[in-house]
Amino acid sequence: MSFRRVLAVFAAVLPASLIAVRLFLAVYSWPAVRFNGLGFITSTSWNLGNTYGSPIVRNGVQVLPGAHYGILFLIAGTLLSTLIALVIAVPIGVGAAIFLAEAVPARFRMWLSFFVELLAAVPSVVFGLWGYAVLVPLLGHYVFPVMGRVLGFVPFLGGSTGSGSGLLTAGIVLSLMIVPLIAATLRDAILAEPMVVRESAAALGVTRFEAVWKVVLPGVRKILIGVTILATGRALGETMAVLMVSGNALNYLPPNIYSPISTMAAFIVSQLDSALQDPTGLAVRSLAEVALVLSVISLGVNTLARLVLYRAGLKAARV
Amino acid sequence: MSGRTATGRRLVLMGAMATALAGLTVGATPAKAATVNLLETGSSLLYPLFNLWVPAYTKANPGVKITTQSTGSGTGISQSISGVAQIGASDAYLSDALMKMHKGMLNIPLAISSQMVNYNVPGLNATALRLSGPVLTGIYGGKITKWNDPAIAALNPGVKLPDHGIVTVHRTDGSGDTFIFSQYLAFSTPSWQNSVGYGTTVSWPAAPGAIGANGNPGMVNAIKTTPYSIAYIGVSFRQAIVQNKLGEALLQNKDGKFVALTIANVKAAAAAMTEKTPADERISLVYAPGADSYPIINYEYAIVKAQQPNAAVAAELRKFFTWAISPEGGNAQHFMDAVSFVALPPAAAKLSAAQIATIK
Amino acid sequence: MSGVMASGGMGAGEPAREAARLLRMRRRRTWSVAGWGLCAIGFGLLGIAMGWILLMVLLRGFSALTPTVFLEVTQGTGGGLLNAIEGTLVIGVGSMILAVPFGVAAGLYAAQFSHTLFARAIRFMADVLVGVPSIVLGYFGYVTMVEGLGWKFSLAAACITIAILCLPYICRTTELALSQVPAAMQEAAFALGAGEGLVAWRIALPVAMPGVVTGILLAFAISVGETAPLIYTAGWSSYMWNGQLVGSPVGYLTYAIWAFINEPFASANALAYAAAFLVTFIVLLISVTARLVLLRRQGGR
Repeated sequence: MSFRRVLAVFAAVLPASLIAVRLFLAVYSWPAVRFNGLGFITSTSWNLGNTYGSPIVRNGVQVLPGAHYGILFLIAGTLLSTLIALVIAVPIGVGAAIFLAEAVPARFRMWLSFFVELLAAVPSVVFGLWGYAVLVPLLGHYVFPVMGRVLGFVPFLGGSTGSGSGLLTAGIVLSLMIVPLIAATLRDAILAEPMVVRESAAALGVTRFEAVWKVVLPGVRKILIGVTILATGRALGETMAVLMVSGNALNYLPPNIYSPISTMAAFIVSQLDSALQDPTGLAVRSLAEVALVLSVISLGVNTLARLVLYRAGLKAARV
Repeated sequence: MSGRTATGRRLVLMGAMATALAGLTVGATPAKAATVNLLETGSSLLYPLFNLWVPAYTKANPGVKITTQSTGSGTGISQSISGVAQIGASDAYLSDALMKMHKGMLNIPLAISSQMVNYNVPGLNATALRLSGPVLTGIYGGKITKWNDPAIAALNPGVKLPDHGIVTVHRTDGSGDTFIFSQYLAFSTPSWQNSVGYGTTVSWPAAPGAIGANGNPGMVNAIKTTPYSIAYIGVSFRQAIVQNKLGEALLQNKDGKFVALTIANVKAAAAAMTEKTPADERISLVYAPGADSYPIINYEYAIVKAQQPNAAVAAELRKFFTWAISPEGGNAQHFMDAVSFVALPPAAAKLSAAQIATIK
Repeated sequence: MSGVMASGGMGAGEPAREAARLLRMRRRRTWSVAGWGLCAIGFGLLGIAMGWILLMVLLRGFSALTPTVFLEVTQGTGGGLLNAIEGTLVIGVGSMILAVPFGVAAGLYAAQFSHTLFARAIRFMADVLVGVPSIVLGYFGYVTMVEGLGWKFSLAAACITIAILCLPYICRTTELALSQVPAAMQEAAFALGAGEGLVAWRIALPVAMPGVVTGILLAFAISVGETAPLIYTAGWSSYMWNGQLVGSPVGYLTYAIWAFINEPFASANALAYAAAFLVTFIVLLISVTARLVLLRRQGGR
């Protein structure tokens, strides 16, 4: 038994570090949670207050005069950019997965699949570099102005098209980062579906595509949902690439899809050193609260993924 | 440092995070090696000058290694307070609250810098637009949203202003440039003083489309790639502004005159303020009186702890700063010219030297 | 293989019904073609975007690669990247030294005692930890280690932070690899009187080794490509690592990409592209190696 115990001690480091991070965030941000209240997630104003003024006491907490923390604009930026990323990535990912699994001859399949998997390994900052150096000027100068003119009548697609750094650009870059994950996972799942499913569908007189679309794909539905939620989690927490292409909007909600935004993860990177200058320490703690909110959202998303998979798994087992 | 103290500290950590944050540091790195490693971080305005200084200085003094980092004055301030960096480069001095909280922090001016207001308005970049504090307050406050707004037109008779929205660009990192720019707005316009105020980080009013940029380089890139944008940029990036054919505004000073950013105008403003500089040298030079005074100038500070972890580091710091403020060393004309800075006036240099002597 | 399979025994239907059937079939065929087309476009878009990114990094990066990049340390926004190359490798190796024992142990426990509550907890926590955004870990590292413990920007703070980041990946790949070890193999060993420890160490782990190694390699690739958590733990240094664990910052390649692409000087941008080339090259090389390790196992069977 002692082997198991020693192993357990070593294995416990993983849960322990997660708990330590969680606990730290919760305990550390507690004064901020108390001071900011519910307004933290319902209002749009990140204001350290007068950093050159003398701290005052409000709600039993020492703060700078005029301090107010509300991150609705960050929550909106995070969720909207993730949503756009999913809208782009899921169809492309599904298409690419079907193409790889069903349309490519087996001897090329390995290489093409390999290519897709490699892309999943390209670091975030390299995507950011491409977005910053190539995509932003391209979209800002050529694509967005045309889009704004042609699609201007659609709400959220008209108005000032800005510089190219913003919500849509962030969504596009994010989508590229999660497509490989979706495509590779789904391809494996499709390939793992037994051949007999396809053959029996074919025997019923359907085309090969119909067999894939109506029989094979529903069979891997739970995996698609699972991997989509997983990808959501990744997009929510993505930092560097978003930081480089989002335009870092502060204190306003995006009036249209081209507008600059900021996300919670990117905001933590860009604001930590400013926050450290608040002599009362409340700004840093509020930033911890941002991290806490982000963690809670990603915990929720992950739990949801597991729940969906678990339920779908049960149902599939019963059928 | 022994493992036991580290563990002890970890235990204390959760309960006393406030103290920890306030800059609890372990002065533990013993001077074993012959070379001393110094980390300079902060102001992106001072960064180009440090990048000229460091190779020149370390060549003559091989016993010291200095890493430079362009992170913004906010980082410079917080990391020198916490001891993470030995030299915090900042365009802003510490607030009274921070000074009271962290005893023994020095704000040592190394040179005098200034700030441009730049824009990218197609067709008008060769024209020096006239702008005033109240008009810039309107623009950054989201009240003046178009280039042909009557308020701008009134200052620029005869200039054909485009009917196009203004994209304001501000810094996302804690920045001394934000500090002096917001001071210009605050000192010239009571409504800004009463609402937003000034600081290295301010809560920018909602001006839809406003872009946040990282560091002065990010500001240059942002206006370069965004037509109809406006930004405040440290003078050490003037070369990049000229290269990219971007516009530079004439700013209204306290006497109501519109002045260009020239060495003479910066010196005029500095001359008006040098005598008022207190012994700890924490003073804003923004909006100086005088007909020729350029309104946005400032001391470029090194934020340093007076009490260093060991004598070797303290000695190297004293030596480096003494070199930096000397007219034969870092304040030599060719260094100043390269970044469009102005050397410290003798009276200010004397105060800086007195502060440098207290680094122990 | 494509096409419509006639379901046999149709018989001679009325002509109208036959015509309707044909029409329906044609429509279905068109749909199918369109479907395949859309899938191809999906893959094409992915391929184009990715090819574009890699090509940009390769072309701009390669032309920025000069001997200076490999031979000199960074000087402000110029010079070389030797300090960053070294730092990236030191941080990667350091965090693996920390993460591998604990990650493999967690994976081993989760696989060998998979029915226990603790194993389930490990699996769940690993999944949650994967979902914790890396910047949150960086923030944690900064406030606790860099400032709290007074380690300043340091190798230790960077390695611990990256190790936490990599733990769940190593854990889950180890578990996955172990779960594919035939149960019969282990049962046979148990039947011969081997203990849990012996079975795990001498039977399960060696068989699963290629999978475990793949996981470790991929975790190493992650550590090479990370940026956000390092900005606040490793800091940045334009000199070589001085051998100290705490007290002095360390340079790394991803910082050079992020910081130097932002500068308005061509020389700084060139360094950023060179760094991007190196990071991408190292990460892809590791991924290919990891893949080959797996392939060789499959080929050997």
